[in-house]
Amino acid sequence: MPYADLTRVVVETDQRQVPRSHAEKYELKTIWYWYPLYCLGGISFVAFVILTITGILLGFFYVPDGQLRFTASRDLTNPAYESMAFIMNTVPFGFIIRGMHHWSAHVMIAAVFLHMCRVYFTGAYKKPRELNWLLGVVLMLVTIMFGYSGYLLPANSLSEGAANIGINMTRASPVIGDQLATLLFGDTNTLSGVFILRWYWIHVFILPLVGTGLMVLHMALVWLQGVAEPH
Amino acid sequence: MEIERVKGKIMEGQAGFPRQYGPTRSDHQPGIPFFPQETARDFVLIFLLTALLFFLSAFVTPFLGPARSPQISELIVPDWYLLFSWGLLKVADVFPQFVIGDGTPLKTVFNAAFWGDLLSGIPVIFLLILPFIDRGREARPAKSPVRSAFGVAFLLAWIFTASLYSIREVIAQRWQTPTGSPLINDTAMKWFFVIPPVLVGLTSYIGLRRLGYQPMRKWLFPYVAGLTAIVVAQAAGIFLIPGWLGPEVRPYVILLGIFLLVLIIPMLVASVAVFALPESEARKWVVRSGVAAFVVFTGLVVYFTYSGTPNHVAFTWVLSVLYPNMNTLVLMPMFAVLTTYLGVRRPYSSYEYLLNECYQCGKCHTVCPVTKVEDDALGGLNLVYNTFKKQHDGVPLWTCLACDACSAVCPLDIQYSDYILEERAKVHARMAADGGGKE
Repeated sequence: MPYADLTRVVVETDQRQVPRSHAEKYELKTIWYWYPLYCLGGISFVAFVILTITGILLGFFYVPDGQLRFTASRDLTNPAYESMAFIMNTVPFGFIIRGMHHWSAHVMIAAVFLHMCRVYFTGAYKKPRELNWLLGVVLMLVTIMFGYSGYLLPANSLSEGAANIGINMTRASPVIGDQLATLLFGDTNTLSGVFILRWYWIHVFILPLVGTGLMVLHMALVWLQGVAEPH
Repeated sequence: MEIERVKGKIMEGQAGFPRQYGPTRSDHQPGIPFFPQETARDFVLIFLLTALLFFLSAFVTPFLGPARSPQISELIVPDWYLLFSWGLLKVADVFPQFVIGDGTPLKTVFNAAFWGDLLSGIPVIFLLILPFIDRGREARPAKSPVRSAFGVAFLLAWIFTASLYSIREVIAQRWQTPTGSPLINDTAMKWFFVIPPVLVGLTSYIGLRRLGYQPMRKWLFPYVAGLTAIVVAQAAGIFLIPGWLGPEVRPYVILLGIFLLVLIIPMLVASVAVFALPESEARKWVVRSGVAAFVVFTGLVVYFTYSGTPNHVAFTWVLSVLYPNMNTLVLMPMFAVLTTYLGVRRPYSSYEYLLNECYQCGKCHTVCPVTKVEDDALGGLNLVYNTFKKQHDGVPLWTCLACDACSAVCPLDIQYSDYILEERAKVHARMAADGGGKE
């Protein structure tokens, strides 16, 4: 498209509104009691925005180091866990910011799952929206990986157990199992605590990068193709 | 030109027609603008959500727990959204374990962890290929019962039972017999992966097809009677086969019999009602017996739980028979009654549910022979459209020839003539009820 045309399109698009739905356009009687379910995708996005904000704040105080050490009273601890305790007890509003991060994560995953159910049951994945459905499935996996990596990071007993399960599941994959586990967790066991640093980087860089990009595409496709409505 | 006239009448300039052609054309669309109206509505939702999150983070503290340690800690339970995968890992040892390609670079060990990976991958693979295996046009849940029933059974019930299995240790510890062995054994928990999803799937299928105007009694009778036969056979086996009941349960055989009767009677009522009674009667009897059984069962449970230790011990021994067979003795009666109710209930209250699909392409109007000869046709009589909008004074209903030309061209396959005939039958029925006189 030539440059002049592009500018014309941009200028004329200036006053563009959300495309009206099929039902609005043709004055259809719609099945109104399904409409509340259409906010779930938006809720998961709002939760993601809150997660980004609180995550940036938490990132100023969190130390991604899972190496085991002893406290003065000979109990096991590690810098990541210490920094979590610091955030919870000392940082002003740290308690509530961590709480927001925690609960937004739960809300986001629940909303994503319910959103997927809504799309499934109203047949909204059908032609011509196959690509958007595939993007959505990948986004759901990204969200679950966000959740999983998120609860690895506090370096408490839950993350220890989860890391062990994750390492064993990764190692069980054929041929490249051990290499894959070493790549993702830094080792084939949790002793060294390298997995905290690995998953920290996945949690704060790789997943946000992939996730945000796919989310923009996902929503752009909804904008272009319109909302699939029950009618 | 006829086509120009029709186009001018029914499309351009009408409310909702999106754009004007010619020099005045613009991309401005009528409707609710994004800003500020829709934005304001969205902010209500956003603020509510944020308020909820603040409330939760202030009053429900996220768990931090002890620092990580290589020692084996107590039971590890992942967050709820990964429970299903954890349950599938735990159940994976029922599969055969072997090694393929030992000594080659492609060595694959089929151990429990690998089976667990495969099982957890099944839902993902299914979701990825879904839009390419379901190519149908139908979007409504009740109009595509296979997809919906499969979704309820697989995406909801199966994931739920898998998640439940991941906390089998908690369940085994929480519910125990007076002698300290778990009430729900591992075999029953494993069957829980198979039987509830199948029951849920069949029940949803029957219920949804009924909702979408299919009579379902041919399905109902074998299904409900089959479930009843299974439960009755097992109940008979419990009492008649020596050695099924342990010596501790023997003293409580009468109480066990009462509980089984409360479970079986509504199933029997449902089977007989589906087989012998007209639909409205069957519906009444199923609801009555189902509600009565529910009330009695709940009452018995509450009474025996809270009326002193001896009663509670007796009740626990009864449960030690019911719980290991919960997939049959408890679930099947519930699903038999529920399915019967869903399968004989009234479908959507009016034919409007089907007419709702219309998106007013106008093809039916073009082919309708009545509008070509009626005087009214020039004055805007559109049989289908007017009926659909409830803008008729009886004229569209009685001038229709039921020639079915409209249904033949309808891109959404709406059976308009069926609707007309049904509406006329209703009027006749009303007249007959009034004594058959002239209107």
